Amino acid sequence: MIIIGEKINGSIPSVAKAIAARDADFIRNLAKAQAEAKVDYIDVCASVGEDVEVETLKWMIELVQEVTDIPIAVDSPSARVCAEALQFCKKPGIVNSVSMEGDKTDIVFPRIADTNWECIALLCDDSGIPRTAEKRLQVFDELMKKAKEYNIDPSRLHIDPLVEMLCTSEDGINMIVSVIKEIKARYPTIHVAGAISNISYNLPARRLVNQAFAVLAMNAGMDSLILDPLNRDLMGMIYATQALLGNDEYCMEYIGAYRAGLFGPKK
Amino acid sequence: MSKIQEIKTAVETGKTKLIAGLVQEALDAGEQANDILAAMIDAMGVVGDKFSKGEIFVPEMLIAGKAMQKGIDVLKPHLAGEASVSLGKCIIGTVAGDLHDIGKNLVALMIESTGFEVIDLGVDVPANKFVETIKANPDVKVVALSALLTTTMPAMKDTVAAIRESGLTGFKIIVGGAPITQEFADSIGADAYAPDAGSAAVKVKTLV
Repeated sequence: MIIIGEKINGSIPSVAKAIAARDADFIRNLAKAQAEAKVDYIDVCASVGEDVEVETLKWMIELVQEVTDIPIAVDSPSARVCAEALQFCKKPGIVNSVSMEGDKTDIVFPRIADTNWECIALLCDDSGIPRTAEKRLQVFDELMKKAKEYNIDPSRLHIDPLVEMLCTSEDGINMIVSVIKEIKARYPTIHVAGAISNISYNLPARRLVNQAFAVLAMNAGMDSLILDPLNRDLMGMIYATQALLGNDEYCMEYIGAYRAGLFGPKK
Repeated sequence: MSKIQEIKTAVETGKTKLIAGLVQEALDAGEQANDILAAMIDAMGVVGDKFSKGEIFVPEMLIAGKAMQKGIDVLKPHLAGEASVSLGKCIIGTVAGDLHDIGKNLVALMIESTGFEVIDLGVDVPANKFVETIKANPDVKVVALSALLTTTMPAMKDTVAAIRESGLTGFKIIVGGAPITQEFADSIGADAYAPDAGSAAVKVKTLV
């Protein structure tokens, strides 16, 4: 299970404010809190105009690295910005993200080809997000061709099958589940990524929908989760699910996380 | 930290992947196999204590037992004989009329991981089955009886009585289970009582 902490994102109003005011402590504290929640990667997204995005990311990435050595998920809608911002990271992390849109893979893949960097790849292309499982898997096939071209091993890829909002979906997450299962069947070492909170958009009591989604998606094979690691209920649910899926020998991860205070009663 | 101390810590914390290497290193450094075994048995005593106090959970106890088994696998060829690996035989079972096995299984696992060879007769075990098994295993050191219901406490009493009446000796009887108390254990003539799996494992070692 790979957990990517999502708290340092300029699309969150309080973070946007801190970025605008260059409030270094605010960013450092978010990094520290997520490090204490034992995330595997800390996502860093500036969400500013592209002309100042690289310098903003540099500032943010350096602040995170002042307080923790947990690797960074370099997050930008622009593949060019991602590729450029990698140089600020002290150790290999994750590029978040590419897709089959335009020349994204051709910009990022050569940059990470002979490195240990990993990469999140969304299953969409120039025609948008495919409606059906078959079409998403076609995009997946194209993506894997590209990865092979640049000699990027499937184990370095985190495929985001693009989960739709539950409030507009007609079949819940059934289509996504079939996509996840097929991807895992074809490439057992590949990761399947997803942002946990997107699913519940515009529904009441979103936390419950998010938790139920996490359980079902993990059961289907999702193993790389982008989420708020300070959400104790969600973290507990994820560790419990890992144990129930038989991925946690002797429940050691579950017990360890409990002892570390990641969930359960606050100590 | 000495190698022996490292081994002890590795068993206590259930380091199943490290233990074999540590035991081998200790042997290579000239430590006696019996001392290493004693350290591991000590470690399981600590684990049993912690479980009794509610400081650790069941899986942590089980993984410590597994670590110890892996250590013993490395140690076995270096011990004088099979007998020195085992502290002795222990016959365990839930008494007649009682079908509870979770607690009994935990106790069996814990006793086994402290170095006993365990013969588990299962649940709903009639008194004569215990007697026959003791006869068939004259070297048995401990007989452990479990009862989880107030209604099966008399069966525990009858079982102890049947074992005593058989005239067989050379072993101790330990009893336990939710409704059982030290007073009850004394009143039916058992040699020992333990309130949980952790203390059972600690207790049986004092009986041999």
